[in-house]
Amino acid sequence: MIKNILEYLHSNTTPGEAGNLFWVVVYVLLVFAGVSFGVVFMNWFERKVMAHMQVRLGPMRVGPHGLLQPVADALKLIIKEDLMPANADKLVFWFAPVCVVMTAFCSFIVVPFGRTHAITDMNIGVLFMLGVSSLGVLGVIMAGWASNSHYPLMGSLRSGAQMVSYEIAMSMAVVSAVMMTSMATGTGTLSMIGIVQAQMQQHIWFGFSFFPVGLTAMGVFAIAMVAETNRAPFDLPEAESELVAGFMTEYSGFRWSLFFLAEYTSMMAVSSIATTLWLGGWLRPFPNLLGGANWDTAFSLIPGLTFLLLSALSFYSFTLMPKLRSMRGSTLGLGGFAALLGLLGAFMLLPAVRVRVQDIFWFTLKVAFFMYLYIWYRTTFPRYRFDQLMKIGWKVLLPISIGVVILTALIGVRQELFALVWR
Amino acid sequence: MKIIKMLRSFFLVDLLKGMFVTFRHQNPADLVTEQYPMERPLISERFRGQPQLRKDEAGNPLCTACGACALACPEKLIKVGSVRDPETKKKVLTEFEFDMSRCMFCGLCEEACNSDALDLSPEYELALYSREGMQMDKDKLENGIPRKVYEQ
Repeated sequence: MIKNILEYLHSNTTPGEAGNLFWVVVYVLLVFAGVSFGVVFMNWFERKVMAHMQVRLGPMRVGPHGLLQPVADALKLIIKEDLMPANADKLVFWFAPVCVVMTAFCSFIVVPFGRTHAITDMNIGVLFMLGVSSLGVLGVIMAGWASNSHYPLMGSLRSGAQMVSYEIAMSMAVVSAVMMTSMATGTGTLSMIGIVQAQMQQHIWFGFSFFPVGLTAMGVFAIAMVAETNRAPFDLPEAESELVAGFMTEYSGFRWSLFFLAEYTSMMAVSSIATTLWLGGWLRPFPNLLGGANWDTAFSLIPGLTFLLLSALSFYSFTLMPKLRSMRGSTLGLGGFAALLGLLGAFMLLPAVRVRVQDIFWFTLKVAFFMYLYIWYRTTFPRYRFDQLMKIGWKVLLPISIGVVILTALIGVRQELFALVWR
Repeated sequence: MKIIKMLRSFFLVDLLKGMFVTFRHQNPADLVTEQYPMERPLISERFRGQPQLRKDEAGNPLCTACGACALACPEKLIKVGSVRDPETKKKVLTEFEFDMSRCMFCGLCEEACNSDALDLSPEYELALYSREGMQMDKDKLENGIPRKVYEQ
């Protein structure tokens, strides 16, 4: 048993491929904890960034710069009374949030945070992720139907229509990226790790290959994924000015927080699909331009240095905190936070650690970029009307994505022919 | 012209412009929020807040008890009581009632005052625990209401 556990540490595969149950459980727990922490952080980050874009301060009172606000919110939601409408379908009402959360978290099974940092590697990885994440719409429709109320029903109907129509454009964009994986080797792959490795072999991120075809596919996906996760400007299912809160209207307390968790988790899931397919997954930027062992070392230092920089920033704001009795707790907390970040940064500079950590760092950074885009869209764009939404989905994105697939095929075949002729 | 318009919508120029605007506003220098109890706004001298009866440098009340403010008040919430001093043959203010709960801070009483005595001060923190506290008498108007100052 222990030998089996230790053996995995020397292998170079994911625990799922190695068939090591112990490490699979450990990885599942780690991913669950990491994603949940990401959701908590995202909650704070979204409120802060939105506030600053709207020239406000955002949460400031709970902890330094409101850092503990999500904790306070979560506590409030758990303590809150859990209401269930009298005429609701009890079983379905109970199961809907569970279904949404389960599907959102399930898709993280195949997300590769690094070559060895994934729970497992499936040969149908992308298909699995798209399938599971679109199962989430089932939970939404269940929630709307079981609430036995008109606003939730309208919201869930809208959500269903929206998710189904954007799914097609999204999948077409994915097909184009999957076709690109077959360029160098001749055999394409749907495995998430395989896709990243194909980008490594071809020395290009698919977002930039066949310029501008890859970029267009990524753009289509980036728009469709906003609609898919019901976020602004496509947040019609929960449009508060029209439908109160859409399918979540009748939910409160802990059940509502499950929906919240699922929303942000699925945002991260689709962002990580986009990262894996078009932005090179865990690969570091500029592998060609700044290649070689020296640059590899330099780039592997970046995660630790970033944490040290963050630590320095928090320490700087620690010295700026007003010296008042009531602020002492916050000040000490910020100082402790700075020290923690500094320790983490120093830990990440160790040679043994930084080799393993850098994959996760680059992947997280790219996902964070997409998450920032989500917030940015939300503050900037007004909500679309429902017919406009359908028009964009069917009349704009779908033709573009089909065109992208055809163009990818044509350019790919042309390149293969040239390769044959010149050889 | 049409082509340019089409290209603009194809490359999402307007959306990108909007995104640039929101991005630019993240600059912390743009912030306008005040952290109220810790930071206090600068209130202009002419702000019409809590009423007060002013005194001259020697500490004598300026009010001549003429009652012009009571006449000017559209809400009829001011009551001036006075007795005539037999020696100087002048009115002396005995009571001054000002019902702040009905006041809309229009400032007509302040304008009507001939002797510059009644004044709506810049004091704006008027929240109280009871309605009775809103009934200002002569003492409260002259000396102000003692308030607990927020301490951090």
